[in-house]
Amino acid sequence: MSEASILVPLDGSEQALAALPVARVLGETERAALRIVHVGERKPPDAELLERLRLAAPALDRSIVEVRTGEPAAEILLAAGEVKPRLIVMCTHTAAKPGKVLGNTATNVLRHAPCPVVLVPPGHGSFAWHLHHVLVPHDGTPTTSAALRPAAELAERASAELLVAHVTDIGAAPAEAGSLTTPRYIDQPQHEWPAWTSEFVKRVACICPLGHLHVRMVLAHGNPAAEIVRLAKKQSTDLVVLAWRGKWEVPHAATLKAILREAWCPIMVLRA
Amino acid sequence: MNARQAALHPTDLPVAPTVDAGWILVEEGFTLAREHELESLFAFGNGYTGSRASLAEGSALSSPATFLAGVFDSEAGPVSGPAATADWTRLSATIDGQPLGLDHGHSLEHRRVLDMRQGILWREWRHQNGGSRVTWLQMLRLASLADRHVLVQCVTITPENYNGTVSIDAALTGTLTQVTGSGTTVAMAVARRIVDSAGRWMGSPQQVVGQLSFEVRLGETYRLDRMVAVYTSRDTGEPREMASRQVERAIEDVNDVIAEHRDAWLARWKASDLRIEGDAAAQRALRFAIYHLSSAANPEDERVSIGARGLSGTAYKGHVFWDTDIFMLPFFILTYPEAARALVMYRYHTLPGARAKAARLGYRGALYAWESADTGEEMTPPFVVSPDGEIVRILTGEQEHHISADVAFGVWKYWEATGDERFLVDAGAEILIETARFWASRAERKDDGRYHIRGIIGPDEYHETVDDNAYTNGLAQWNLEVGEEVTRLCAQRWPEQWRALSRRLGLEAEEPRRWLQVARELYTGFDEQTGLFEQFRGYFGLEDIDLAAFAARTAPMDVLLGRERIKRSKIIKQADVVMLVHLLWERLPPEVRKANFEYYEPRCGHGSSLSPAIHALVAARLGDAARAERYFRQASEIDLSDNMGNAAGGVHVGALGGLWQAAVFGFAGLYFTDEGPEHRPNLAPSWRSLSMRFQWRGRWHEVVLPESGAERRTTGDDP
Repeated sequence: MSEASILVPLDGSEQALAALPVARVLGETERAALRIVHVGERKPPDAELLERLRLAAPALDRSIVEVRTGEPAAEILLAAGEVKPRLIVMCTHTAAKPGKVLGNTATNVLRHAPCPVVLVPPGHGSFAWHLHHVLVPHDGTPTTSAALRPAAELAERASAELLVAHVTDIGAAPAEAGSLTTPRYIDQPQHEWPAWTSEFVKRVACICPLGHLHVRMVLAHGNPAAEIVRLAKKQSTDLVVLAWRGKWEVPHAATLKAILREAWCPIMVLRA
Repeated sequence: MNARQAALHPTDLPVAPTVDAGWILVEEGFTLAREHELESLFAFGNGYTGSRASLAEGSALSSPATFLAGVFDSEAGPVSGPAATADWTRLSATIDGQPLGLDHGHSLEHRRVLDMRQGILWREWRHQNGGSRVTWLQMLRLASLADRHVLVQCVTITPENYNGTVSIDAALTGTLTQVTGSGTTVAMAVARRIVDSAGRWMGSPQQVVGQLSFEVRLGETYRLDRMVAVYTSRDTGEPREMASRQVERAIEDVNDVIAEHRDAWLARWKASDLRIEGDAAAQRALRFAIYHLSSAANPEDERVSIGARGLSGTAYKGHVFWDTDIFMLPFFILTYPEAARALVMYRYHTLPGARAKAARLGYRGALYAWESADTGEEMTPPFVVSPDGEIVRILTGEQEHHISADVAFGVWKYWEATGDERFLVDAGAEILIETARFWASRAERKDDGRYHIRGIIGPDEYHETVDDNAYTNGLAQWNLEVGEEVTRLCAQRWPEQWRALSRRLGLEAEEPRRWLQVARELYTGFDEQTGLFEQFRGYFGLEDIDLAAFAARTAPMDVLLGRERIKRSKIIKQADVVMLVHLLWERLPPEVRKANFEYYEPRCGHGSSLSPAIHALVAARLGDAARAERYFRQASEIDLSDNMGNAAGGVHVGALGGLWQAAVFGFAGLYFTDEGPEHRPNLAPSWRSLSMRFQWRGRWHEVVLPESGAERRTTGDDP
């Protein structure tokens, strides 16, 4: 059985390094080695590699560096296909492009990755990172519960608190059988809210086992992206986990894009 | 045993599932995340016990529970909740060592049916295990309506393509005794037997411990019967002995027990069925309502009532609200007066708690608990932590005083419909007097020369600590007048008993006259010019928010706008003035009824499950059958819609009672006058006809309502 790994694409920019502290903590949590992937037009001499990546030698402890040539996203995905990493951890974009949520490489990796992708905003810099609070927005569907399993496992291994957030807005409830959204009727809040909260968590747990996780439920109302961002800031969230149904073109993924636009902490994207 | 049963094959069940779609709820396949909802919707009970429809073998989202009416567990905290009893339905099996479960192998067919007509939960399951062995299973469960202490579970097993070994682990065996936190002893005795198709017993009822394994042959059917008898120290001094004796008898006559249960349900339906032509969904919804209402009632126990979720779930902790007196009771009064009597007697037995609450708050008479359990003491939790993390103080237990008038209203309606003199003299009059006495002390005379009721919560719980809630004041006024009326009635018709009662209550001759004075001078918020009641003082000055902009909502308005904003707005949670219009219909001129409905209906957010049905009722009475039908449909979907997650903690019995009332008092237009019952129907546009039975002053009435008019037949016979 091959060693568990986390893929960390670095393009040599200062911004890309923001992924490294996050990847390191996730690697320790997942007991996975970091596999740094650099894709360039041509392979740099070994002696120049660290400088090219803006890394000091100690940064490579318990890491493997792989240099590839070609189109960056395609090569990163090829590498992911070969090593089957637990996660890909990368910066959202390394060059500012007005109006774009993600850089081209990050967009293509996200759309085709065979594993969850953790996107780190470049503003995160090289600051130390820890994983104490994980925020999981949940639309109440069984599909989302199933998608969140890797996040729950990660949170449990990190002994982090899992904050399950349900944001209600005006509009139709999901049609999927077994979905639980904000109750239409709150006859007596002193009974209804504890019962609803408990039911929501149980429905998540029956599909996505929560083990011994410390789980908290929070309800918010309004624009989902804005509320998730607000909650994440209010709750000092270290990681936001989003289940995504895989469609990127407008009008899809509106919430994911809006959150990525506002992101100040790493965002883990899971395929629902 | 009758001839039909004698002709049965040894493993045949004595009943077959009902196939008429108007009588059944069906769940095909299996969606794990829906399990809690299904457990509630398909729950079965008899008013003494109620069991959730959990899978016998369990699942990752199973919450099996059997509740006993009136048995609470105070160890759970200061607010008592229903005691959990042993899971008598638990049954796990293996086929040649491989577990029989929905998460093992494949389910070739899986179907659960709530057979409302016969009061039976059916399950049909064709399962293929990992070894390709195909097994056909049919299961039934019931809580006997013929003998409320008996519970039944039967399973037939047919191997379709193999010979092999079946092992059954029926975890609960023998006689179990538990003592709840509130000190009630519960005894549950279990007996089981397995027979093969030749009628041979596999093992014996005495073999009650552990796993039972037996060989099965291809194409043969085997039947497991598990009988349970339940008694508590509320019933007898020897619950264990009683349960043991009863189960021994029951296991000998399983088919008879099942047949008697079925007959009891058929009799219940004969008295209470409501038949709709032209709208299959409405028909099924009404039968669903009648089924769960009937399942929750027990005419043999007048010290228990029906909690907000009946015996179908733990939500609301089994507590009794105004739901029972205002929403459920009319169904029982007109179709099951014996059960209605038990419900109003519960209010009599909890009078001491109501008196104590009134005294504690500085009032006279009886102020009933907003949330009542076994003793009648106030059980409302003082606060809740909402899911947005806010600690919300709960004021209903302190301020929602209309409950006392609601209880009185139910008592008077029971008396009017039944003429049950013994009840009125022995119990009802005392409730009416003590509640009138409460209102006389609760109302304060102010500088304007009028009496006012301040610091109150009406049915619209979005607005707390308001003054002169129209519903509360209107019902209080009615209560004061009826309190005075009952003193005259008793003095006139039962002078001897009246002297004893008035002496016991310390009722002075002038006190009822003062009630009338308070009633006359009680502020009602009625504006002669507009014909409107102001829901409470200052309501008309609040912000008007157009609810049409939120028409697509799936969450209640207080969640969407926030508690503070909603308090400053005219948006109301549920029928409040409209509820007053419904209850005091005959007292209000037609133009006042209409004006108030037209004003308040667009401002109602229907944040309570009790609201849509009352709007359907009033709209139908006002002749707006199309609007009434929309509300009726909304009310009927509260439990039955696929995504109603808040049914997970139990069905909304109050809303089901409201649905029945919408059909009977709304669409069927049933009124009671001095001459007796009469109909002014306004059927829903899609309904071709409605037929029903009801009892009024000891006589049964059969009614068929075509759209063109009413046909009624009165009989003195039992249905």
